[in-house]
Parts: sequence; C-alpha cells; structure tokens
Amino acid sequence: MTLPDMERPLEPLWRGLLVYRVLTLLSSIAVVLYTLDEFDSGAGAIGVLVVMAGWTAVTTYGYFGGLPGARDGRGRFAIADLAVTAGVMATTPLVQSHAQIAANAPVMGSIWTPGAVLACALFFGIRGGLAGAVVISTMLLLISATFRTELGDIELILLVGIVIGFASTVLRRSAERLRRAVAAEAAAQERERLARAVHDGVLQVLGLLRRRGSELGGDAGELGALAGEQEFALRTLLTTGPAPVDGAGRRDLAAALRVAASSRVVVSTPAHPVELPAHAVDELVAVVGAALANVEQHVGRDAPAWVLLESTGEGVEISVRDEGPGIPAGRLDGADDEGRLGVARSMRGRVRDLGGEIVCETGPERGTEWIIRLSR
Amino acid sequence: MDHQAVTVMVVDDHPIWREGVARDLSDRGLTVVATAPDADAAVRIATATRPQVVLMDLNLGTGTGLEAIEGILGALPETRILVLSASGEHADVLEAVKAGATGYLVKSAGAEELLAAVLRTAEGYPVFTPGLAGLVLGEFRRTAGEPAAPVLTDRETEVLRLVAKGLTAKQIGERLVLSHRTVESHVQNTLRKLQLNNRAQLVRYAIEKGLDGE
Repeated sequence: MTLPDMERPLEPLWRGLLVYRVLTLLSSIAVVLYTLDEFDSGAGAIGVLVVMAGWTAVTTYGYFGGLPGARDGRGRFAIADLAVTAGVMATTPLVQSHAQIAANAPVMGSIWTPGAVLACALFFGIRGGLAGAVVISTMLLLISATFRTELGDIELILLVGIVIGFASTVLRRSAERLRRAVAAEAAAQERERLARAVHDGVLQVLGLLRRRGSELGGDAGELGALAGEQEFALRTLLTTGPAPVDGAGRRDLAAALRVAASSRVVVSTPAHPVELPAHAVDELVAVVGAALANVEQHVGRDAPAWVLLESTGEGVEISVRDEGPGIPAGRLDGADDEGRLGVARSMRGRVRDLGGEIVCETGPERGTEWIIRLSR
Repeated sequence: MDHQAVTVMVVDDHPIWREGVARDLSDRGLTVVATAPDADAAVRIATATRPQVVLMDLNLGTGTGLEAIEGILGALPETRILVLSASGEHADVLEAVKAGATGYLVKSAGAEELLAAVLRTAEGYPVFTPGLAGLVLGEFRRTAGEPAAPVLTDRETEVLRLVAKGLTAKQIGERLVLSHRTVESHVQNTLRKLQLNNRAQLVRYAIEKGLDGE
C-alpha cells in the first residue's frame, strides 16, 4: 500500500463507482432509445434520461473526492443520490406503457440505480449499504408490485450493498491499523537514531572516566574501573544484540559468542555470520560458557581468557584459552568418575551429542586451551 | 624512537574525547599536530599537516571513518592509520583495515596501551589485537575458495591464529621456535595481503567499468 492508499483506502472504489455510473448510464440510454416507441410518453422517458445524465455529472463531481485532509462531503451526496435514484424509479408508471410493465420491462434507471447503493455502502459502511439496498428494493417492489419477478434483483442489490459495505468497513479499519503501525515504526526508528547518538556519547564519557580514573588511582581509580565495566556492558549490548533465529532454524554463532565478551574475556570471530542450527549454537555457547566459568573458578576471577571462532568450509572450530597453571594430568577424568557435573561431563557430553570433538591442551607453561570442532 | 618526532592527528567527533586523547599523547611527549571532528576536515587537515599517524574513530558525525581513511591514504600513502573505535563494529573495522588502516584498538584501551600502539604504528608495525586477528583470519577463510583471492601460507595462518588466541609475539616465537622479528613479519604480511586483495578488487572493478583509461 502506498501512502495515499493508506490515507484514503477507498479512493479506488470511488473511482470504480464513477466508471460504473457512466457505463450503466450509457447502457440505460441505449435501451430506452432502442425501445422508445413502446413508451407511453417518449418525451417523458427522454426527460428522465436527461435528469439521469445530469445527476451522473453532478455525482461524478461530488464523488471525486477533495484534496487529502479536506472534509469529506460525499456522505450527503450519497443520500441525495439515493433520493434522486428513487425519484427516477418513481417515474416508471408515468412514462412506461401497461404493456411494458406487464412484460416486466426494466424500471426507469434499471442497472444505473444500484450506483446509489454502492455510494451509501462506500461512505457509511455495511449499514449504509444495507439501508440503501432496502430503499432501492422497496422502490422496485412498489413500482412493479410483482414480488416474484423482482426477487432476483432485490437479492442482488442487497448482496451488493452488504458486500461493498463490509469491504469498505474492513478496508478503512485495516488502513487505520497500517497507518498506526507505520507511524509507530517511524517513531521507533527516530528513537533508535537518537539512542545511538546518546549511547555513543555515554560510551565516550565512560571510556574517558575509565582512563582518567586509572591514571589518578585511589577512589578515582575505583570509579574508573566501574565506568569501564559499564562501558563494556553497554558496548556489548549495542554491538551484539540478540542473535535471531532465521526461517530455517539457524543462528549466527559468531554473534552468540560475542555476548560472552567482557573486560577479562576477549572474543574473536569472523566479521561475517557463522550460521549453524539454533540447537547447535545454544549447545556450543553453553560449552564455551562452561569453559570460561572454569577459568574463573580455577585460575582467578580476573584471569584473562581468549575465545576464537574460526569457520572453514568443513566446519567450525572454537578455542577457549587461558594462561593459568594448567590442569594436572588425570584430574579431568577424575571429575568424570566422581559423577560431578564437572568440566569433563558437561562439556564433553554436549559436544559428543552434537557429533563434534573436544580436546584439551594443557601444560604448566602454556595454560589450558579447549578446542571444540564441529563438522557442518 | 624519540617520542617527540612522532607526529599525530586525532580524528573524533566527540570534542571531550578528542581533546582528552590529544592531551594524553602530548603529555607523554608525542607531537599532536592537529585534531579534526569529521571525515572532510580530517582529509583536508591531514593533507596540510602531514602527520605520521592518524588516530581515527570510525563513527564520525558526518562522513564515515572509511571515507576519511581512503581520502587520507589517497593523498598521503605513507601515513599510518590507527583505528580507535568505541563501536566495536566488526564489519566496519574489517573494512577500515582492508582500506589501509594498520591497526585497531577499542576506546576502552588504557592510556599506556594507546601510547604503545601509536608508537608501534609510527614505526610501521601493525597493531593486531586478538579481535582484529580473528576478523582478518575469518576474511581469509571466507575468500578462500574465490579465484585470484590471495592466500596465506600455513605459517602465516598459524601465526595469525595464535595472535587471535591472545598470545603475544614473544609467546608465539617461543611456541613456534621463531624469532620475534619473524613473527612480526608474518603478521605484517597477512595485513599486506588483505589490503592487496582490496586493491586488486578495486582494479578489477575499474577494468569492468571501463575506467582503466581506454
């Protein structure tokens, strides 16, 4: 939907009504002129055609719609339309011959008359459509007084009034919803733009606080360290965000791992997304989380750690490294035997379930490095 | 290296940060020849003052840091660009390095770390954080199957992976039984190949578009 469609969703239908009006007018004129010698009053019939043509011109102007935002006066035209159409129909007994009426000839106006019902339905919705249809149907019944023969026409007119009225109501409502959604989206984008500017400023000031604080030391140093933590948290929030699951149930492992970054954990990933099934991503993130928790527990709360994600054609490889004292030989297996939810069981089990492999390289001089490999 | 001989320009759209960093560097003996708030001014002022090192934020108010890098290196190919960014935007950093920046630090880096990085940059060495090494490694892996894409030697890949895993040049030298210098030169080569790739792409693009002067 384009913007004008959204502001005035019924415009195409009004245009359609105008076309319908003109075409049915031409058809009515043709039918009346073709059968002119059957009329009691040929001059009267032509007079009615002139009125119909004139009124079609008036409604063409009236239904065309003003400039966007101008007051919509089409409701009054629609009511007048209904009255004029009823009037045209009422001339039927005056101009048509008994023979014509007996032969069930079309009433004056014939298929031009539902135009008024359409107009009422478009402007007033389903109730307007129904009311208009009832007026025109009543006129049909009063004029012909042969209920049976007119039943089909009445059904059609009621149907048109209800369907078009319903369509008008629904279109108006959905256009209003869409307009609100678009406005909300625009507001959200603007808020996001402002937030980016504010966040950037906050990051700068926090970063500066951190640096000045660490230079000054003492209480200021403590404040600086706190500012540094907040700076890191905010930057992580701004640059990672939640990694969404795509339609095929895949997630970006790189984005998911970057969330683990902190002032002591460096996470290195490719710049492009590394997409894996969402379940595998969750499991790998949990394994990395367990390895990092292990560093914190066994090496120290402030011990640095490095996470590296590499993606090749064959699969992915994740390394989690620390520079701690290393893990003594046999201790990992011991943790497994004791049945604790320790490093070995939690990490090895998860990776094995994914069909990958996990190895631990450790030594007193080189800390501990967990390497997790998973084929595509 | 004599600190005072190192001339630096600081490009950042935040005045507090810009002046703070400039003061930090001059307090430690470096010569800050200019500061600039946006990409246009950066290119103009750099051309006039010819600094050895440009310390650049990628997230500038008007114009991007990438435009500034391309503009400055276009006019002064010998200038070294060190990206100092608060954004941590991975794709942006990679693009900046491909465009010719030789190092990257996040703004949370301490003042001493920053000074060391500026001095290294002035000496012509790349400043490779583990994060940047991961990005560069990822880029080489991504382009691995493409025709005419430069490839790293096994040794270069090995060195780059160890940088990405947080090892220092000294630790890498010990582990691979290489000299410190050799490790540095491998790192430098990976960067040169990455930038070469970018230039090769430019040339190919120019030829495709018929901009090669015929």
